[in-house]
Amino acid sequence: MSNRTSNLILRKQELPLHNDTTGLFLKVMISIAVFLFAVTLAGVLSINAMLAAWNNSILGSLTVQIMPVNDIDQQKAREETLLNQEKTLEFLKSLPEVDSATPLSDEQLLMLLQPWLGDGIDILELPTPRLIDVRIKHGASIDYPKLAEKLAEVSPYASLDNHKLWLNKLISFADGLKILAMSILVLVVAISAGAIFYTTQTNLGLHKNIIEILHIMGAKDTYVAQQYARQDFFIGLFGGIIGLVFAIPTIFMIAHLAAQIEGGIINEARLSSISWLMILLLPLFSAVTAMITAYYTVKRTLEKMM
Amino acid sequence: MGLFGNSNIGEPAIIDMKSVSIRYDNGPEILSDINLSLKRGSFHFLTGKSGAGKTSLLSLMYLAQKPSRGVLNVFGHNVNFTDRDSMAVLRRRIGVVFQDFRLIEHLSAFDNVALPLRVCGMNEKEIKKRVKELLSWVELDRHMFDKTSTLSGGEKQRIAIARAVINRPDILLADEPTGNVDNDIAKKLMKLFIELNKLGTTVVIATHSDKLITDFPYPRLHLNNGALRIYDAREGYVRGV
Repeated sequence: MSNRTSNLILRKQELPLHNDTTGLFLKVMISIAVFLFAVTLAGVLSINAMLAAWNNSILGSLTVQIMPVNDIDQQKAREETLLNQEKTLEFLKSLPEVDSATPLSDEQLLMLLQPWLGDGIDILELPTPRLIDVRIKHGASIDYPKLAEKLAEVSPYASLDNHKLWLNKLISFADGLKILAMSILVLVVAISAGAIFYTTQTNLGLHKNIIEILHIMGAKDTYVAQQYARQDFFIGLFGGIIGLVFAIPTIFMIAHLAAQIEGGIINEARLSSISWLMILLLPLFSAVTAMITAYYTVKRTLEKMM
Repeated sequence: MGLFGNSNIGEPAIIDMKSVSIRYDNGPEILSDINLSLKRGSFHFLTGKSGAGKTSLLSLMYLAQKPSRGVLNVFGHNVNFTDRDSMAVLRRRIGVVFQDFRLIEHLSAFDNVALPLRVCGMNEKEIKKRVKELLSWVELDRHMFDKTSTLSGGEKQRIAIARAVINRPDILLADEPTGNVDNDIAKKLMKLFIELNKLGTTVVIATHSDKLITDFPYPRLHLNNGALRIYDAREGYVRGV
């Protein structure tokens, strides 16, 4: 460590900032801010993970369903249904975004129905819908509502898998939610910085006499600003750790509640190790934010004050 | 170098005031059209009745404020055109003893005296050596780590003086520096000021003490109704500036 750096860290603080009540207020304020920030950030990161998982399931493939034709003559109904499947297949293959379109075989359909209908069923005797597994070309994007409309024109029996459409709407909703959460994060940082700004200004007024003495002794504004910056760094760090201590169990509790929602959709919202690292580094982020805010507040205020 | 500034003709003034006036907010001028030139190594008393503007004149000299009117040059720098950081560096060359001491009460005697050195970024080892030496000289070594709030008026005054001289300033400005100490200490402190002056420090001492002025016949800057005159008993003349 250089002499200059060690002087900066170890040197005596002439301003009695550690005794100030404004320090306690800031610690409480920052711990609340970090708590809110951590929970919201966990939300944003979870939404991101969820969106990525949903997008993966939407991108690359989709399913088209052909409803069975109703007729007393089962053979005729089946033939008409297969005809509809062929027409739909032809249409799907003609789309430039589609890489392949493959109808599911009877055996595959049987496997899908087995969990609900049990063993020993004859699919030929049931009016079961046909399914076409469609693979989308890499990088191509599909307008699902428009595709659904076109499918209906080709064959009134064909429809896009509802789940995909619903998921697409859910993605739009989650995107909006993410923007909202990001705005909350910005707001939390802005409010915290504002609180640091005003408490620092008040504090400068309280210690005006000592600051005047320091100036007369030849201290630059930087000398005073460094004392505030150092103090607020530790306030930010301490407040941040307290906030995080409360935030982590809250995040786990929310995750536990979310996991209980049926359908497994929220289960996709798992936090990666990088996400956890980001959350754990929040006290350092709050410390650095407090330090920088205090430093520039002091510099700016002193220029106006003296 | 002569004892009095007047003998250093040709050398640039360490403090130079031309038609300097000072007023607070929109009030009347406390000092009007002050013209003063202090050479390196000069020694002056500053006298005048209470409220004559001695403290204001000193505050201009130690760069606590800028003149409302006129030109003030300190160490050759026009203070009206000097930025904040450069002003701070200039202030490091000025030692100030305040009438009310202006010590930082929650700090120890050691930390108060060390203040000008810490502000300059000096390393702690050197600070320790210098401060111990000086506190011992002003006979306060046994109170080195006592908070200044626990010390007597005389002790505080000696700490204030030690703080003002610790970094061997080019200018020493003292407002009633012997006001709270006994005669022996007062003589010792005056001896210190004279020694510093011999080493080239420009000294200005504001005082009400006739005894001090009589015992040490240095030229006198006298303020009356905001105007300044110089009385020089040794050279036998009085002049307006």
